[in-house]
Amino acid sequence: MEGNAQTQDFSGYAGVDRQIVGAMWNPGRFYWVCVAVAGLGVLVGAVSWAWQIGVGLGVANITHPPMWGTYLINFVFWVGIAHSGTLISAILFLFRASWRTTISRASEAMTIFAVMIAGLFPLIHLGRVWVVYWILPYPNERNLWPNFQSPLVFDVIAISTYLTVSFLFWYTGMIPDLAAIRDRSTGLKNRIYGLLSLGWAGSEKSWKHYGTAYLFFAALATPLVISVHSVVSWDFALGITPGWHSTIFAPYFVAGAIHSGLAMVLLLLIPMRKIFHFENLLTLRVLEQIAKTIILTGLIVGYSYAVEHFLAWYSGDAAENDQFLFRMTGYYSWAFWFMIIGNAVVPIVLFFKRVRTCIPALFAVALIVQAGMWFERLVIIVGSQAHEYDPYSWGIYKYPSLIEWGIMIGSFSLFFFLFLLFAKFLPTISMTEVKEAIAHGESSGGGLHG
Amino acid sequence: MPDLRRRDLLKLFGAGGTSAILAGCGEPARHLIPYVNPPEDLVPGKATYYATTCRECPAGCGMLAKNRDGRIIKVEGNPVHPISGGKLCMRGQASLHGLYNPDRFPGPMVRDGSGKLRPTTWANGETILSEALAEIAKKGGTGRIAVVSDLITGSLADLFGLWLAQTGQKGVHVIYEPLAYEPLRAANRIVFGEDSVPTYRLDDLDFLISFNAGFLETWISNLEFSRQFGDFHPIRENGKNKFVFVGPRLSMTANNADLWIRTRPGMEYAVALGMIRAILDGDLARDLGDSRKATLAGATSDWPVERAASAAGCDPGLIRAAAAAFARASSPLAIAEGLCFSVPNATETAVAANLLTTVKPAGLKAIDFGRASSCSQAAPAQSMKLLAERMRAGEVDLLLVYMANPVFSLPRAWDFAGAMKSVRTVVSLSPAIDETSSLAGLVLPTHYSFESWGDYSPRSGITGFLQPVMGPIFDTRHAGDILIATGKKAGKEGSFPFRDFQAAMQAYWRRSWKESGGTGSFDAFWLDALEKGGCWPDRPTAKGARPASSFSFAFPPPPAEAADGLPLVIYPTVQFFDGRMANHMWVQEIPDPMTMTAWGGWIEIHPDTAGKMGLKKGDLVTVKTESGGIEIPVLPIFTVPEGTAAIPVGQGHTNFGRYAENLPANPFNLLAPEVDPATGGLLRAPLSGGIAGTGRSFEIANTDGSFFQMGRDFWHTVTLKERNHLAEAGEKPEIRYPLPSGYEKERDFYAPHGHKDYRWCMVVDMDRCIGCSACVAGCYAENNVAVVGRKQVLMGREMSWIRVQRYFDEKTRLARWHINMCQHCDNAPCEYVCPVFAPHHNAEGLNTQIYNRCFGTRFCSQNDPYKVRRFNFYTYTRPWPLKWQLNPDVLVRQKGVMEKCSFCVHRIIEAKIEARNRGRKVKDGDFTTACAQTCPTGALVFGSLLDPDSRVSRLINDVRAYQALAELNTKPAVIYLKRVTQEIEA
Repeated sequence: MEGNAQTQDFSGYAGVDRQIVGAMWNPGRFYWVCVAVAGLGVLVGAVSWAWQIGVGLGVANITHPPMWGTYLINFVFWVGIAHSGTLISAILFLFRASWRTTISRASEAMTIFAVMIAGLFPLIHLGRVWVVYWILPYPNERNLWPNFQSPLVFDVIAISTYLTVSFLFWYTGMIPDLAAIRDRSTGLKNRIYGLLSLGWAGSEKSWKHYGTAYLFFAALATPLVISVHSVVSWDFALGITPGWHSTIFAPYFVAGAIHSGLAMVLLLLIPMRKIFHFENLLTLRVLEQIAKTIILTGLIVGYSYAVEHFLAWYSGDAAENDQFLFRMTGYYSWAFWFMIIGNAVVPIVLFFKRVRTCIPALFAVALIVQAGMWFERLVIIVGSQAHEYDPYSWGIYKYPSLIEWGIMIGSFSLFFFLFLLFAKFLPTISMTEVKEAIAHGESSGGGLHG
Repeated sequence: MPDLRRRDLLKLFGAGGTSAILAGCGEPARHLIPYVNPPEDLVPGKATYYATTCRECPAGCGMLAKNRDGRIIKVEGNPVHPISGGKLCMRGQASLHGLYNPDRFPGPMVRDGSGKLRPTTWANGETILSEALAEIAKKGGTGRIAVVSDLITGSLADLFGLWLAQTGQKGVHVIYEPLAYEPLRAANRIVFGEDSVPTYRLDDLDFLISFNAGFLETWISNLEFSRQFGDFHPIRENGKNKFVFVGPRLSMTANNADLWIRTRPGMEYAVALGMIRAILDGDLARDLGDSRKATLAGATSDWPVERAASAAGCDPGLIRAAAAAFARASSPLAIAEGLCFSVPNATETAVAANLLTTVKPAGLKAIDFGRASSCSQAAPAQSMKLLAERMRAGEVDLLLVYMANPVFSLPRAWDFAGAMKSVRTVVSLSPAIDETSSLAGLVLPTHYSFESWGDYSPRSGITGFLQPVMGPIFDTRHAGDILIATGKKAGKEGSFPFRDFQAAMQAYWRRSWKESGGTGSFDAFWLDALEKGGCWPDRPTAKGARPASSFSFAFPPPPAEAADGLPLVIYPTVQFFDGRMANHMWVQEIPDPMTMTAWGGWIEIHPDTAGKMGLKKGDLVTVKTESGGIEIPVLPIFTVPEGTAAIPVGQGHTNFGRYAENLPANPFNLLAPEVDPATGGLLRAPLSGGIAGTGRSFEIANTDGSFFQMGRDFWHTVTLKERNHLAEAGEKPEIRYPLPSGYEKERDFYAPHGHKDYRWCMVVDMDRCIGCSACVAGCYAENNVAVVGRKQVLMGREMSWIRVQRYFDEKTRLARWHINMCQHCDNAPCEYVCPVFAPHHNAEGLNTQIYNRCFGTRFCSQNDPYKVRRFNFYTYTRPWPLKWQLNPDVLVRQKGVMEKCSFCVHRIIEAKIEARNRGRKVKDGDFTTACAQTCPTGALVFGSLLDPDSRVSRLINDVRAYQALAELNTKPAVIYLKRVTQEIEA
C-alpha cells in the first residue's frame, strides 16, 4: 500500500479545504433532485409501515411457515452493508492502509446509516411494534426481564453497541474537520459547527487525545464487525430449522457481510467521485484495492457454500438433506443459483486487471454481488423456513407485497436520503487525514494518529 | 344406560333445572336475557347445559348445548343419548354456525312488484299464507297444496298432517332428502323382504366389508357408526377385526380399511358376487342350508371370480382373500351405500352385498329392521319429479318448502326452479337464504333448531327432544307456530286447539305416552325426556334380517367395453353432507380429510391420468354430461385410481349466503333425468362425460404442503404380528418422557422442569383415529379460533390449532393421518427463542402462550418443528351474530399475536377450581379437552402423567407408543400410538 497518496493530487492544505468544503456548499440542482426523490421514497416507506401497523402484518405476503420475509432479509442485508464501513475505516486504519483516507469518512457514515436502517427492520417486522420496549432490560412493575437465552435479545445488545461505537468512531474522527468548517463559516452555521466541534482548538494536547481516541475506537470497532454479524447469524444458527442450525454460520455471515459491504462501497464511491468530482482523491487505485478484497471475500463465501452443503450431506439427516436439495431445485432455486454465481463465481473476474480497472465493469460486478448477497439472505431465511421438518406444513413465500416493496423502497431511500444530507452538511472526506497525507509525503496514513 | 360421570350428571341437573323453569313458566323465552335482569337460574359466568337434538342431518344425534349468559357457545354430544353417546361429528360441532349464520332472514319477507324480497310483518305474511289456504279450501280437492320438507317426524310431522287435513289435502307432504337410499331400500326388499333402511350394528361384528358405503362420513348415521367402528376396528388384546372397503374412491371410510379393493365405478357388485362365488366354489360356508346355497349359486352362476374381477377391474386374488376372510369370520357383515346418485348400479351392489351377508347368517343379526331408520320415510326422488311435473302443469297452487333445498340438489333437467314459477304461491319456511327460498314469493323464516321446541326420531325406538336452548336471534317463528296461526286463520277456530307449537307438541306426546302405556304422571315423563334429551326404551326389540323365501334379480353383465372418458364418482362428504352445510363457516375452513382442501370443490383425478390429459392442479375444466355441465378445478391426487374421477357434493351454491358463494361446483347438475323404476331413485348413468380445459384456473385452497412425509417421523404403522411379537417380548417403547425422568445428562443442556401436582399429556391412538376432523371443529368452537377465509387459506394462514394431517404412503399410495397440535414439549424449541417469554413453560408442564406478552417476532413459529403455532396476521373478526358464539373463557386474539393449542387450559382451570371446592385434586377423567371430548372413536386421551394410574400414564408405556420427531429431543407431551395394520390373507 506504499505511496498511494502520491497519486492523489492536492494543491496544499487550503486546496483540500476548498475542494471538500466547497462540495458541501454548492451541490447543484442534480443534488436537490436526488434529495427530493429520496425524500419521496422515505415517505412511501413511512406510509407503508403506518398502513401495516394499522391493518396488521397480513399486508405483507409472509405466511406460514415462512413467517419472515423481506423484512428480515433486509435486516441482515443492511447489517452486512454496515460492516464494510467499519472494515474500511477501522480495520484498514489499524493495518495502516493509506488508500483508505479518502473513503473512510463516507464508509463510516454508511455504517451508521445502514445500522440505523437495519435496526428499523426488526421493528417493522414485529406483529405489535407498539410494545417493542419490552425487549429492553429495564426495571418494570411486572418484574420481567427479557429472555437472555433468546438470540433476538443478543441482537438488540449487539446492534445497539455497534451503533454507539460506530457513531463515536465517526464523530471523533470528524471533530477537527468540523472545527475547520467552523473556522470557514459565519453566522448560524458558525455557531452550529462550533457546537458540533466541541470547542476544538487544535492544540497539541487536543491532537494527542484525538489520535488516541481515534485509535481506541478503531480498535474497538474492529472486533465488533466480527461479533455483530456473528450474533446476527445466531438468530438463525441457534434455531433448529434445517438449513440454519449450523456452526459455520458465524464466519460464513461475517464473510458475507464484508463481501456485500465492499460491493456497497464501490456502488457508493463510483457515483460519488463523479458527482463531487473527487476523481483526484478517489483514484482508480483505491477502487482496485477494494476489488481485490472482494475477490478474497467472494472466495470465502464460496467456500462456505461448499462446506454448508457438504455438512448437510454428511449429517445424513433427512430434513437437512431435503433442505439443501430444495434450495438447488425448489421454488427459490433461481435465487440460489444467482447467489452462487453472483457471489462466488463473478468476483473471480476481478483477478483480471483489465476488469478491475474498468469502472463500468467494477460497478456491474458490485451490483451483481450486492444482488447475490440479497438473494443469499432470501435463500437462507425464507428457503429454510419454507421447507422444514413437517412436510404437511411446507409453504412458499411467493413474492413481496406492495407494502413490502414500499418499505423496501423506503429503506433504500432513507439510506440515500441520509447519505445525501451527510454529503451536504458534513465533510465526506476526512480533511484532516488528507492534509496529513500531504504533510507526510509518501509515508503511510498513520501520521498523527500513530 | 351408559355410565354417568359426575360432570355429565351435573350437566343434566343443570339442564333439568332450567327446563323445569322454561316449561313451567309457560311462555318460552322470547328475548335474549339482558344482564341487568337475569332469570333466577342464570348465574353470570356459569354455563348451563341444555339437552337438545342435532338437526343438521337425519342422524339425529343427541347433544348438550352450552348456554353461557343467554347464548349458546358450544355443543357437545349428549352422553346418555344412544346415538351420539356424548360425541359429535364435525357437522354437529358446526351446527352453531347454522344458528348464528349472518345470512339468516332477519324477518318475514315478501316479493314485491319488482320481484325483490322485501321485509314485511308477520301479520301480513301469515295473512298471505292463510288467504291462499282459504282459497284452496274453497276450491276443494286434494293436491293443490304441496309441502316439501326435510325428514321430520313426530309432533311436527303430525302437525303438518293436521294442517293439510284441515284444507282437505292428503298425501301431499313430500319428505325430501337427497340422500334417500332408494337403492338400499329396494335391495332390502329384494333380499330381505323389507322395504326400509334398517339399523346396522357394527360393534358386535368381527368382519366388515363395505361396498362404497361411507359410513364414517354420511351414511345413515355416521357418528353412531364412527363410535361403533371405534369398538369394532382398533386393536383389542392381541386381535383386530377386519374391515374391507370396495369402491372406486379412497374415501375417508375407505382409508380406514385394512384392504381397499379398487373398482370401476358401478362395478362393486361384481366383487360381492365374485366373493359369494369364491365362497361357494371353495365350500367355505359349510353350515349354510342347501336352498340358500342354491339361491346364491343361481345368482352368481355367471360370475366366476376371474370374470368378476375383470369386470370390477381388480385383482382376483383380492376377491379370493376377502371371500376367505369373510367366510372365516364368525360374524361378518356386508353393507352397501345404496345411494342413487353416487355411482351406477347402486341397487345391484346393495343386492349383492345383502346376498353376501346371507352367506354367514350370524352377521344378519347386525341388520335390525325392528329399528328402521327414519330415512325409510324419505320420499324417493321420483316423487319430486312428479311434483315438479304437477307444478309445471299448474296443478299446484301453494308450495310450502321447509328446510329443504330441492333447487340445489335435484337434477337440472327436472327444472324444479322453473316449475316453481308455475305455482301461484310459493312459501319458504327456511331460516336462511338458499337456492329454493330465494325463489319463494313469501319467506316466513323459522327458528333454527336451537331456538325451537320439537322432537325427532332418527329411528323407531329413539326420539330426541329439542327445546329452545336460547332465545331467538332474529324475528323468526317456529314452523309449528306458523302452521297453527295460519291454520286458525284459514279454517275454523276450533280446529287447532293449541296455543302454540309447544302446546301441540305436549299434546302429541301426552297422546303417544298414553298409547304406549305410560304410567305415573305425564309431567314427570315430560321433564325426564327434556332433561335426558329425549326418550328411548331401554331394550328395544330387535328384528334381525332374514332372507326372503324367494329371490329373483338379474345382475347386469359387465359392459363389454369401458366407456370413453373418465367415469365419475359423486360423493357426499363428511363436511357438507348433501350440500346443506356449505353456509357453515367452520366446515368450509376445515380441510377435507382426504384432499386437505378447504373453500371450494374440485374434481379428483389420479396424478398420472391428469398428467396424460395435460391437466395441472387448479386448472379449471368443464365437465359435461348429456344433462349438464359444470366448471370445476382439477385436483390431481391419489384418492382415485387411474382412469376415474370424483367430485364431492356440497359446493356450487348460487345463493346460499356469503360463505358458500363462488365456490365450484355442484355435481348434481350433471345427473341424468331418468328415474329407475325399480327403486324410484335416480337412474345413475356412468357419466363418463368429457373433461375439457377452459384455459382458466381456480386455485385449490389446500393446506397440505406435501403428499408424503419424506422420511420424517410423523405417522408410523406397525403390523399386527409385529406388535404382538413386541408385546409378548415385553418390549418397552422408546419414549423420551416429558418428565424429569426423561432427562439425560449427555443429551440435555438445561436442567429438567419440575412439575407441580400435574403434568398434562395427550395420547393420540392412531389406530383409533378415523380422520373425521370432529376434533378440529370442536377446537374451533371451544377456543375462538379464527376463520380466515379462502384467500388467506390460499396464503397458508389458516389458524387451526389442531389439524388432521394427511400423508400418502410412498409405496401403497394409501393415506395416513397424523393429528398434529402443540406437543407441549418439555424441552420446547419455541420457548427459548422468544425475547419476551411469551411462550412460557408452566408448573403443570403446559407450554402456555401469553397472548398479552407476545409482540409478534414469530421466532417461536420458525423454531417450532411441528409447525403448530399460528400467527394472527390480522385482527380477525366475525360478523354479527357469529360473534355470539365466542367462548368468554378464551381470549380473542388481536393482530400481531402468535397463538396455539393450550390443551384447553381454561378447562383445566375450571376443573381445578371444581376439585378444590371439593377439597381434592383433579382426578383422571374429571374433564377433558374439547378435541378429546368429541372424538367419536376415543382416539384422544387427556390426563396427567403425575398420576401413575391415569389412562395416559398407562398408555405412554404401550408398545405402540412413539413421539413425533423424537430425535430432536423436544420431549413432546403428545404421545402417539402407532396404527396397527394387517393383511387380509386368503
